[in-house]
Amino acid sequence: MIEVQGLRKTFHDRKKGDIPAVKDVSFTCHPGRVFGLLGRNGAGKTTTLRMLATILSPTSGTAKVAGFDIVEKPAEVRRRIGYLSGDTKLYDRLTGRELLTYFGTLAGMDPAAIPARIEALAGPFGLADLLDKRVGKMSTGMKQRLSIARVVVHDPEVLIFDEPTSGLDVFGAREVLALVLELKKKGRTVIFSTHIMTEAERICDEIAIIEKGSILRQGTLASLGVGNGSGSLEDVFIEAVKGELDDR
Amino acid sequence: MTAKTMAVFRKELIDTLRDGRTIFAIFVFPFLLYPALIMLMGYIQTKNDEEAKTFSVQVGVVGAAQLPIAEEKIGAVEGVTVVPMKSEPASYDDANVQALLVIPPDLRGLIARGDSVKVELRYKDADNKSSETAKRLKPALDDVRQALTLEWAKSRGATAEAPPAITVERKDISSSKELGRYVAALMIPYLLIFMVAAGSMQTAVDATTGEKERSTLETILASAATRAELVIGKVLAVLAASLTGAVTGIFGLWLSFGVLASRIPVMQGQALDLSISPEKMLFLFLTLLPAAIFLSATLVAIGCFARSMREGQTYATYVYMASVFLGLSSFTQSESVPMKQFFIPILNTALLQREILTDTVQASHAFAAIGSSSLLAALMLVIAVRLFSNEQVLFRT
Repeated sequence: MIEVQGLRKTFHDRKKGDIPAVKDVSFTCHPGRVFGLLGRNGAGKTTTLRMLATILSPTSGTAKVAGFDIVEKPAEVRRRIGYLSGDTKLYDRLTGRELLTYFGTLAGMDPAAIPARIEALAGPFGLADLLDKRVGKMSTGMKQRLSIARVVVHDPEVLIFDEPTSGLDVFGAREVLALVLELKKKGRTVIFSTHIMTEAERICDEIAIIEKGSILRQGTLASLGVGNGSGSLEDVFIEAVKGELDDR
Repeated sequence: MTAKTMAVFRKELIDTLRDGRTIFAIFVFPFLLYPALIMLMGYIQTKNDEEAKTFSVQVGVVGAAQLPIAEEKIGAVEGVTVVPMKSEPASYDDANVQALLVIPPDLRGLIARGDSVKVELRYKDADNKSSETAKRLKPALDDVRQALTLEWAKSRGATAEAPPAITVERKDISSSKELGRYVAALMIPYLLIFMVAAGSMQTAVDATTGEKERSTLETILASAATRAELVIGKVLAVLAASLTGAVTGIFGLWLSFGVLASRIPVMQGQALDLSISPEKMLFLFLTLLPAAIFLSATLVAIGCFARSMREGQTYATYVYMASVFLGLSSFTQSESVPMKQFFIPILNTALLQREILTDTVQASHAFAAIGSSSLLAALMLVIAVRLFSNEQVLFRT
């Protein structure tokens, strides 16, 4: 479970001064559900997710991830999460098996248990032929499957996906979304950021529309009015952020 | 030159000149780093020269009665004590002198007959103290030659006949083993520093800035490993690469000069006896370790700070150059090195290693060099961890 309460992040720039990236964001993600953070590039999605992954510290506010406070117990949080960003690459000179072993070890797994876990992941993630191949020789789709296997190698309770289909073709993106839905079925808490409306509509149980660091609307697709009078999710999104765009 | 070529040239130039790092590297850094390093080397050289004038040495004089002025002039040189000897010692090493002046037994007869006269100063280039002594005696030996010429002129009634060959020669009597030890003591510490610095650069930048550029940094930051665990792991990898580079480099040196040179006819002139005992090898490695950790941690800290591989490599090159300069400074050292220099990182390691290779280790030097290098290594590790834990540094744009 993820409980976010009044999360705020301000960056400081010597020339521009304080730049608020995330402003008082609050939401809750439940186990067995996919929570979508929908926003344009630069809306504050990545900064929010980086704070939840304890990569960045919040300026104020807090969040509990898997029951642990991200400010007070960041190490406990990190033990229980899997984090994947769409622009994350892998280590080209490692094989698939070496890469999974490395991240399993960093996650604190028992070294003796890692080989069995890798074999268990090989089938569902289609990695059988990739385990002994160097990452640099894999296709983009193969790398993305390996990336997701990397995220779940330690079987985390909470999964944080930051635009994981970025740069993938339609087949690669479908594979990733199918794997995310599989994780949801297994009862994991999934938070998923995207700027692609069809993706959000397809896999998210709840959506928060974020713009300029603030959540403008949030709820289930139905409660946002998608499909019952307000039009498509794209229409709802444009309607929600229109006022903010006028301020540009 | 076509217009298109010029257009590409102008674009690349504008692109380069608008890159703040390039401006810094080309126009600012040379005016800061190079003068600083040259001043440091100059300071070290001056201090060494001052030190070289102060240490006491003993000069043996064989046949002093034949030429009293030699004893007088040599004895007048600061810090020199003359040891009169009746005959040449069987072994130079057992004579406990830093140089030996050999005057022919029938000097007077030679002069009277107008025969050539050769007074010889024997010393060892392979021994810093002996070599410094020979340098210090040069003005005194010029006076001796002048005195001999005058003596010859007086014996001839100052006629205008051509004078016989009167020479005061300096003769290096170092054995090939001693020369090998001297070259090893001069070269190996510098090469070790050079190889450690060169070997650590690429790995350090790839392990830090490379993670940023590949966007893999976030994945390890979001893992259960602490920042200290991540940094120490990276420093260890850099250290392993640098030490491996140093070991293979020394092996290559030994293979070239110690093995191949003696077996390949065209290289025999370069053959040196570079045998180093296993104990010395171990001591060299142990003394290198704190300096290598310091360099590895410095490069990792720089890598954490740099925004891109290009920036990281630029900064790493400066560290490499500074290390090479400091290592080179050990070349200019005399026998008696001021204590202060054993607190200058990198240089202190090269100096201590030279003492190890020449069997002249002083405990105070070893404590100062290893202690200060270890402290600096620990400090730099802490700085690297701090930088790696600072999101403003890691994600600066």
